[in-house]
This record gives sequence, structure tokens and C-alpha cells, in this order.
Amino acid sequence: MRRVVFLVVLVVSFIIGSLAFAQETIKIGVVGPRTGPAAATGKAFEEGIAIALDHINAKGGVLGKKLEVVFEDTGGVPEKAASAFEKLATRDRVPIVVGESHSSSALAEIEVANRYKVPFIICEAWHDDITKKNYRWVFRAGPVNSGVVDFYIAPFVKEHGFKKVAIVRENSDWGVGIAERTEFNMKNFGLPFVTLKVERESKDFYTELTKLKGENPDIILAYIYGTGLHFFVAQAHEVGVSPKALILDGAGPPSLWDSFWKNVGKAGELELFMSSMHEKVHLTPTSRKFWEDYKKKFGKDPSDYKTRSIYNVVLIAADAINRARSTTNEALVEALEKTNLEVTTGIVKFGLKLGSYEYHQWMPPMLVVQWQDQKQVVVFPKEAATGGLKRGR
Amino acid sequence: MAEFLMYLTNGLVMGVINAISAIGVSLVVGIMRVINFAHGELYIFAGYFSYHLSLTLGLSPILAMPLSVIFVFLMGVLMERFLIRPTYGDEMYSLIITFVLSIILQNSALLIFGPYPNKPPTLISGATSFFGLFHYGNQRLFSFIISIAILLSVFYLIKRTWFGKSVRAISQDREMASLMGIDHLKVNMLSFGLGAALAGAAGVIIAPIFPVTPTGSSAISLTAFVVVVLGGMGSLKGCVVGGLILGILENLGAAYISTMYRHIFGFIILILVLVFRPWGLFGQRT
Amino acid sequence: MDKVEFMRFWIFIPFIFLTLFLPFFLSQYWLHVMIISLFYVMMASSWNLIAGYTGQISFAHAAFAGVGAYVSGMLAVNMGIPAWLGILIGTSIAGLLGLGLGYLCIRMGGIYLSLTTLGFSEILRIIITNEDRWTRGTMGLQIPGFFIEYSKMSYYFLFLIVSAFFLWVIYRLIRSEMGLSFRAVLNDELAASSSGIDTIRVRILAFTISSAMAGMAGGLYGHYLMLITPDIPSLGQMFLVLAMAVIGGMGSFIGPILGAFVLEILSEYIRIYGEYHVLLFGLVALGMARFAPGGIMGLLEKRWRLREMS
Repeated sequence: MRRVVFLVVLVVSFIIGSLAFAQETIKIGVVGPRTGPAAATGKAFEEGIAIALDHINAKGGVLGKKLEVVFEDTGGVPEKAASAFEKLATRDRVPIVVGESHSSSALAEIEVANRYKVPFIICEAWHDDITKKNYRWVFRAGPVNSGVVDFYIAPFVKEHGFKKVAIVRENSDWGVGIAERTEFNMKNFGLPFVTLKVERESKDFYTELTKLKGENPDIILAYIYGTGLHFFVAQAHEVGVSPKALILDGAGPPSLWDSFWKNVGKAGELELFMSSMHEKVHLTPTSRKFWEDYKKKFGKDPSDYKTRSIYNVVLIAADAINRARSTTNEALVEALEKTNLEVTTGIVKFGLKLGSYEYHQWMPPMLVVQWQDQKQVVVFPKEAATGGLKRGR
Repeated sequence: MAEFLMYLTNGLVMGVINAISAIGVSLVVGIMRVINFAHGELYIFAGYFSYHLSLTLGLSPILAMPLSVIFVFLMGVLMERFLIRPTYGDEMYSLIITFVLSIILQNSALLIFGPYPNKPPTLISGATSFFGLFHYGNQRLFSFIISIAILLSVFYLIKRTWFGKSVRAISQDREMASLMGIDHLKVNMLSFGLGAALAGAAGVIIAPIFPVTPTGSSAISLTAFVVVVLGGMGSLKGCVVGGLILGILENLGAAYISTMYRHIFGFIILILVLVFRPWGLFGQRT
Repeated sequence: MDKVEFMRFWIFIPFIFLTLFLPFFLSQYWLHVMIISLFYVMMASSWNLIAGYTGQISFAHAAFAGVGAYVSGMLAVNMGIPAWLGILIGTSIAGLLGLGLGYLCIRMGGIYLSLTTLGFSEILRIIITNEDRWTRGTMGLQIPGFFIEYSKMSYYFLFLIVSAFFLWVIYRLIRSEMGLSFRAVLNDELAASSSGIDTIRVRILAFTISSAMAGMAGGLYGHYLMLITPDIPSLGQMFLVLAMAVIGGMGSFIGPILGAFVLEILSEYIRIYGEYHVLLFGLVALGMARFAPGGIMGLLEKRWRLREMS
């Protein structure tokens, strides 16, 4: 009996507590993987959010009130993601949600967003369908598969004269989508390619790598997101496939996580990866400010570009609320459509034409980076390059 | 042809390790009629201990590996003494308890050791060329040799020592054995500990090749169960044969049929055996 | 009626009242929690039917829910079959699989049943995960809802009605002659079979009914979430169901119901601090299995009996 009373008291005090703090701040929701194989992205998000909140609240917050963030964990899987979004919409009743770094999760979340009519700005889920579905409540200020391949990966492969392409893709929405777009481009170029599928959380790629060895590629486009990429890179080296064939990490962050060098050792040398951030490439003053404030706050250079991606969308959300002078969903969508905001990677303007993935989409410029002597060297596009591409033997 | 040999070699190496892992389960099932669902978790805990002893505390792997196995042995002994022993005679509760324990240990591993794969340092690096046909990692060869050594030791233990004799006596007829003066409670405790230690041994051997993660334990437990059922519950010979068959089948199947279904071969074997020949290859028909 | 039954009856009435009028007071969020709890009531009670009442520990319960969810979901997506029909079909298939599995394994005894159901559960999960051209595997499959217009209240009543139906079926089963055989088999199998009870048939029947119920629960769950993933037929879900039955009280009627609500609501609170609820439930379940095998209901009953005696 005593236990029941204790529980009831705990519950009641919790309810009272959460009510008391509700009034003086404006909360927005963030969704992302705080646990699971991409938990490092969750960490990156936390850092970006912290800097964004510093900047916004220093300038007076949102609608005169302090801005706060409720960061729900998606675990990197769609069922948890949908549940996380549902919680933000029904329990926390946030006016807007931002974030996400998994396409499958995002595809589940946009359905929930649609159901509850909550605006949702995605920063790092790349699948075309997310904006191709043309949901009024869904925006994306981040890369999209077709954009990444058409403007960066495919031209990179062509420009540097690779002769045989290997595509290794995980069975996730992102993996399938980006691989298909890549195949489309390779066919147009007339470049021979081979595609291999791997399981999302796989740790052993020996069988696939042995098959690859027989195919003799000179570039491997690895569409694997998570620590699985580390194993792939390490094992490719063990089997002798790399560095003869260069490996490109199609997502990017796994090559930037702290655990990367620990897990791959010297196999990481000459590995390529996608990024949208580099210390020598500052497209806007905001970018420079972000870099300096990050260094001041965390005592090191920012390494994972997703810290900036989440920073950007939090800024976009706050800007929209301020311009709309309201937190109602209709007002926010109208304000978002009129966005003209400078962030770290450029000036955000969302597309407004229905019928393709460009609706409510803004894509930041990307970079292809190579690890050379454990330093990041931008090798593509030419205008942003800080060094030349090094080949393996 | 070279590819086929490589897959075969892989299968043999993995098979022997499967066998060690399975013996840990089989021993306990044979004597105590208890399935230790927490088997995989003991395996990964050993891997984690090995990792931290070597890298965080700086011990040499030669010391870290046996020490980790001893820790896991102690874990097994404690589990038996305080959790399993009170449920004797009640099969249902021992199943529930070890299943729940496996979930607890899995989540604890996540909390204590973190979600990232941990890889203890390899003792031997590089690869050996096999007749110029393919390269095979040296660490894997080393693991193979150690595994064989462990298998031989276990067989010696069971066939020659008093402990082994007690184990065989109890698994045949517990009442009679205890009437003959065998302290069956002590033997139970030591067997469970030994089972845990074997899981741990498999763990420390494999971890430098396939890093341990909190979620990897289920696959390990399930593989061990398949081998035990295939070989025959309580049969050590069965574990070796079953382990080899499974290892080879999984590797060849993954290579030639589909990599995505690698694990399913094991389970299909499980169901087929249970349906058509439940006592396995070498088990006793009860 | 003795005192315990009398007290139970008087708790029952306001309880019914509460459940009927609850959705008008609760927020969307808490209504959602209630609906999920009802799903677990269905799962835990039907698992308890075989585990608590006939002593067979099956690990395939979540898998059968997965069968219901995926059969119904894929029929809806690929052939436009309405949810109510899809769920019925899913339930039947789950029941048939249960019959088959039961027939094969039950004659072989406890450990073999547990291992086979474990194997079956994992095979199913792997197939669903890998056949992603049809099931979309871990990417998740969007399926239509049960109702054309989405309304949490409608789902609440739907789940409530089905749960009540399950509980009624289980109640009648336990109180019937067949139910007596269940308990006879549980308590002393040798004695039961020597008094002429066909223990095998009894167990197979219970297993079939239980699997069908899991299938129906899974189908409803899928059409409520409108998203199905291989998480449904996973050992993680299996553990939750098991923990709810064990903590609530295996072998008692109310135990699983209590366990389902308590654990589901608690997990919502604990999740605020992090993903610790699984560990916590595991520790409590372990403690219960070791020290208080009757679960919460067992402890409560002991208290009531003691108070009566003093």
C-alpha cells in the first residue's frame, strides 16, 4: 500500500512540476538518434542545439520568450521515430519540430506530422520522397539524394576519371534511394558499375568484399550509415580491396566520429567522404561565427557537419516563429515559405513549386573530402578544393 | 575455387568457435536440464572485460584474456548459486529467469560499456597466404589454434578428471550419483561456471576479430542453441560436429545463396531437427 | 462469495465506469498510452493462458502478433483489403501456425517448445527484415488505419472491446472443464495424464487459441500505428509481454492486466530519463520470479489472506 502511495505522489508531483515550468518559454521539438548505431549524430545534434540556443536567446529569444528544445530519441528506427514525433505533438505540444538524420525515420515522421498538422523541418534525411510527397507541413533544409548524386557524387566520379564503380548499399530507404540515383547517373555516363546490398547493422563484410575484389573497381561508393561503415573500411583494407580502390562514404558523419580512427586504424588513410563543412570553407559570416563559438564552448574544432545542420534548422524555426509573430501551424507554414535567412551554408529559400522533390526543399552546397595524413582535404568541387585527390596503389 | 576454399576455411574456423560456445550450453543442459539464455551475454561480457583490461588498464592481452574468462566463470557461479539453484525441479522458472537475466545483462552492457563495438587488440596481425590462392587473417588462424586447444582440454576434463566423471554420472542418473557420494550441488555450480567460462572463452577469442556490441549477444546465444540441438543435447561430440556443420553451412550459404539470410540457415536447421529428429545427431533418445 | 471475491466485484464496477468514460477526460497523449496498454493486455493475457495456466513458456508470442500485423498490413497495401477483414485473416493464419507449431513441439516437452518457439520467432523476424521488397523490412511499412477518419477515441473503444472479448474468452476457458484440465496439467502432469486427461490435446488447443489472440492483437496494433516494422515480432517485445505477465502475476486472471497497465505507464515516465525502463523491468521481473512467483497479484492475495486470518 505504501508503495502505491509513493508512486502516486511521485506521479502527481511530476505532473505539477512539468506544468509549472511550461509558461515562460517557447519549446520546439527535435528528433534524432540519441541511441542506436548513429548515436554519435545525437551527440552532434546536442552540440549544435546548444550553440543555436545560445545565439537565439542572446538576441532576445523567440517572441520575447526564452527558446527551449525538447529532444526526443528516435533510436534510428522508424517505429521509435514515429512515437517520438507523436510525443512531441501530443504530450509536449510543440509548435514545430526539426531535425532527423535517418530517411526511414523521416518518412514515418512526416505521416505523423501530416496527421497532427505540425510543421516539420528536416535537416539530414536525404530521401527524395520526403519532399517529393509534397506534404504542406514538411520542409527540408538539407541534402536530398538526387541533389547529392547529380551535383556532387556523379560529377566527382566522372571528373576524376574513375573507370569501374562499385556501389555498396545498405537496405535502408536512404541506401536504396541514393544507390538507385547513382546507378541512373552511371548508366548515363556509360560507366560500368556493380551494386551490392548489405544488411543495415552488419559488421562482417568479408563475403561482399571478396566478391568486390573479383570485380576490380577503382572507386567504391559506400552507402552505409553508422559504425558499420567503420568495419567496412577496415575490412576492405584487410582483404586488399582498398586502397587500390578508393572508398567514398556516401553519408559522411561516420568518417568524422571520434571512434572512426580507433576502429579503422590506418585503413582510414585516403578515404573519401561527403561533408558540408570544412574549416577553410566559410560561405557566410554565420559559418565563421559558428566555428568560433563552437571552439569556445567545446574547446575543439567542430568535426561532424551535422552539428551545423541542426543549428541551421533551429535558426530557421526560430526565425519563422518570429516573423509569423505566432505559434499556430498555418502561420508558421506561411512564414517558412517566405524564409530568406542566412545560415552557415548559405541563404535559405524553400522551393514552392509542387510536383517534385524541390517543393519546400533547400539544399546546401556539399563537399567531397579526403583524409590525407589524418587531415581533411577538400577535393571536390574544384572551386572549394583545398588540395588534390590522392590515389591508392 | 580459391573463393570456395576461403569460405570453407572461414566456416571451419567459425565452426570450431561455435563448438566451444555450444559446449558451454550443452554441459549445463545435460546436467541441470537448464538452458542458459544468458549465454550470449556472458560471451560479450568476456569480450568487454578483455577490451577494458587490455586497453583501459593496459594489461597485456596474454593476461587479459584468461582473466576475463575467470571473471565470467565467477559470474556463472554466482548466477547458479543465487538464481538457478532455488528453481530446481521447476523448468519453467529457470527458463524465465535466464531469459530475463539475458535482457538485464544486455541492457546493463549497453549502460556500462556503451553502444559502440569494442575490439580488444589483436595478438597477431597480417595475413597468411594459403597455397597462393587466398589470404587469410592471422588472428583468425590463431583463434582456430587456441579453440582446438580449448576443445581438447575440455574433452580431457570430461573424460579423465573426477569432475568430468561426476558430470557424466549426474547427467545419467542424478539420484544414483548423489547416493554414491557425489556432491551434486557443488558439481552443478562448477558446471554452470564452466559453461559460463566456455562462453567467455569463445568471447575473448572472437572479440579481436568481430568486436562485441550489446546487441550482438542474441545472435550468439541462438547460434549456440542451434548447435546444441543439432548435435544433441548433452553430447560434446555433437557440439563439435554440429558447430562445424553450422559454421560451414552458414558461410557457404551466405556466399553462394544470399548474405542477407546468413542467420536463417541456422534456424531452419533448428526447426528441422526439432521436428524430425529432436534428439539431434548424437543425443540420447528419451 | 468469499471476502476476496466480494472485494473484487466492488472494485470491478467503478473500474468499468472509469474505462468507459476515460477517453473523454484524457489528452491525446494519455489516450495513446491507454491504447498501447490495452494492446499489451491482450498480449499478456493470452500469453498467460499458456504460460501461467499450462506451464508452457513460448517465445513466439510476439512473432504471432507480427504475423497478424504483417498479413493484415500487406493485404491492405497490396490488395486493398479492408482492415477488419485483413485482421481476421491474419488472426486465422496466426492460429493455424500456432496449431502447427504446437502440434510439432508440445509432445516434446518444455525446453524443446521454448527453443523451437525462439527459433521460429527469429526466423520470422529475419524473413520479414530481409524480404524488404514486400515488407520494407526495417524501413517500416505504412499501412492504412482501421477507421477511415483517424480518431483516437474510436481506437480506444475498439481496443477496449476486443480486450474485453479476449478476457471473457480466457475467463470462460479457465472456468470450464477444459480449464480444470489446464490446471491439472500444470500442477501435476503425471497425475493428470493418469486420470485420463489428454494433456497433449489440451495444451495444443490452448496454444492455438493463444496464438490466434496474439495475431489479432498484432493486427489491431499495426492498423492503429499505421506503421509496421520487424520490431513487432522481436524478442524485445516478447520480453515486455513476459515481464508484464510475470510482474503482474502469472497464473492469475488479473495479473497480466495489471502488469500491462503498470509497466506501460511506468515506461512512459521512465523514458523521460532515458531508456532504462527495460533494465528496470528486467530486474523487477527477475526479483518476482525468484522471490515472489505470483507477481503483484500473488503478493496482494497473500496480504488479503493474512489480514483475513488475523
